Amino acid sequence: MNFKMDEKIISKEDLLKICQDVIAKGHTLLTPGMNEYFPVKDISQINLNSSALPAKTSYKSYVFPRSEPVLYYKRSKDDVQLIDVNVDGKNIIILGAKPCDTNSISIMRHLFNWDYSDEFFNLREKHFIIIGLMCSHYDEYCFCTSVGSSPVSDKGSDIFLIPLDENNFALRIITEKGKEFIEPYAEYLKPGDETRSKQVTENVKLPEVVFDSKEVYEWLGENFESPKWEGIGNLCLSCAQCAFVCPVCHCFDIVDEDYSYSEGRRMKNWDGCQFGNFTLHASGHNPRDIQSKRYRQRVNHKFRYYVDKFGEILCTGCGRCSRGCPVSIDIKEIVSNCKESV
Amino acid sequence: MNNIYMPHLAEIKEVIDESPDTRTFRLKFKDSDTAERFDFKAGQFAEYSAFGDGESTFCIASSPTRKDFLECSFKVYGKVTQALHRLNKGDTIGIRGPYGNWFPLDELKGKNLLFIAGGIGIAPVRCVIDNVLDMRNEFKDLTIICGARSVSDLIYKQEIKEWKARTDIKTIITVDPGGENASWDGEVGFVPAVIEKTAPPSDNTAVILCGPPVMIKFTMPVLTKLGFKDEDVYTTLENRMKCGLGKCGRCNIGNVYVCKDGPVFTYAQIKRLPQEF
Repeated sequence: MNFKMDEKIISKEDLLKICQDVIAKGHTLLTPGMNEYFPVKDISQINLNSSALPAKTSYKSYVFPRSEPVLYYKRSKDDVQLIDVNVDGKNIIILGAKPCDTNSISIMRHLFNWDYSDEFFNLREKHFIIIGLMCSHYDEYCFCTSVGSSPVSDKGSDIFLIPLDENNFALRIITEKGKEFIEPYAEYLKPGDETRSKQVTENVKLPEVVFDSKEVYEWLGENFESPKWEGIGNLCLSCAQCAFVCPVCHCFDIVDEDYSYSEGRRMKNWDGCQFGNFTLHASGHNPRDIQSKRYRQRVNHKFRYYVDKFGEILCTGCGRCSRGCPVSIDIKEIVSNCKESV
Repeated sequence: MNNIYMPHLAEIKEVIDESPDTRTFRLKFKDSDTAERFDFKAGQFAEYSAFGDGESTFCIASSPTRKDFLECSFKVYGKVTQALHRLNKGDTIGIRGPYGNWFPLDELKGKNLLFIAGGIGIAPVRCVIDNVLDMRNEFKDLTIICGARSVSDLIYKQEIKEWKARTDIKTIITVDPGGENASWDGEVGFVPAVIEKTAPPSDNTAVILCGPPVMIKFTMPVLTKLGFKDEDVYTTLENRMKCGLGKCGRCNIGNVYVCKDGPVFTYAQIKRLPQEF
């Protein structure tokens, strides 16, 4: 059920009181810092700043950890015993999530649930409460408006905040989950209406739309063999930084880690399609043996294959991949210039 | 919590040394419920665990009609297959599966079947052959053309002997030139050349073809020349996989996930894919 437009007003002070209570109840409260979304220990760490750049990483690792055991094994001479794991279903409240991050979970949900349900992802996601915060600042790497989102989009948020002035926020209840979360704190909510928040959102400067994702989709379908890929491949270092900071990249590896001869665990670890050995067969054959093929895979996966499979672009336009790229490859430029000749 | 990465445990009931580098395990699930429930179709694959070294992907080599056990055959190549090779009768491995699609045997009923296999590619083909033999009346003429690098590289010698002994199936075995020995009584020559010489008419015939990429590359033009249509040639793709569940992201070719949309494809489907396998 959608509760859109159920809009209230809350003061910063009262919002912090809610945060205080959430922490006191033992829930995890995450909020973005410069580098990452971190668990808040003290409410003085909370900085609800709509004009900050996205943290260097998203909160992806809280729903899809960098490395996690999927089982433990014990071996004896004659037998193997398997021990299952359980995902801790603790509530995680994410306060001040950027609109380019709030989108990410619903995009990944398709992948982790087509036919086979990955409960590691699902159980964590179920316990997420996402309180998004309107974004009022962009840099040269941001392109959320080109992938169908916007700095004022409440898509993916359970509750969405819009700063009205220094001390007050408009608070929109978006989902049932958001409603359930905020209900116990009804005393802090003052009646609001859309007039003031609309004035704010309408005045937000939006990053320019730099490409048409449908045109990019078409171009990719016709240009698998374009010489452009070789040019990009020559630049790229295959470090996969782009995948690791991406809020929606989800490729992983499964490897065993022995503690000793008799014990160990099987791990699900982040992996990246830019690594040379990602698709390497034991025989030595490698379908994506050179970097140009791997970069082509990355762009196609995001802007074409994922659309084919799940009807959504595998990108939120946060720009992290480009902001952090050691050789300044900018995915936004690549797709927006795709039609230009080499 | 339903853990999709949790394998079933199985005991190695028998180890068959097929060739110096290829082994077959005959496996039985430890849990009788699992053994009862585990159902698959010819062409599907599984993830096999050597605990401590990881998982590896192979087809299920035994026929779904023979339910007493499950067999897999593997060539020693990488870390996991080396670890599996170190295991003995009585040891425990893990199995996740069955995954992927299968050869559409129901649609092929009433047809002639031509089985073509090269090297370890005979493993998925053997599953289909045994499956078809257990419902022999449903199909017309059966021909097997099977190749190996040399006589010692030829696997499933026991099964081949049984197929050869039957009169309701034509079995042609070949080794690459130079791979024969003094007592070899089969064909000598590469698989495509032997097909050209011995293949049955293409009329009402479906082909089940598995082997190394180089063999498939040279076999297809021969099949086309003999009048076989691309949509009547079924083969499997073997991209590297980790999860087998359409999640880990490495087996895709374009928007096709080999682990879920495959591993069985017609040659017509393969031709439409980006050439990235």
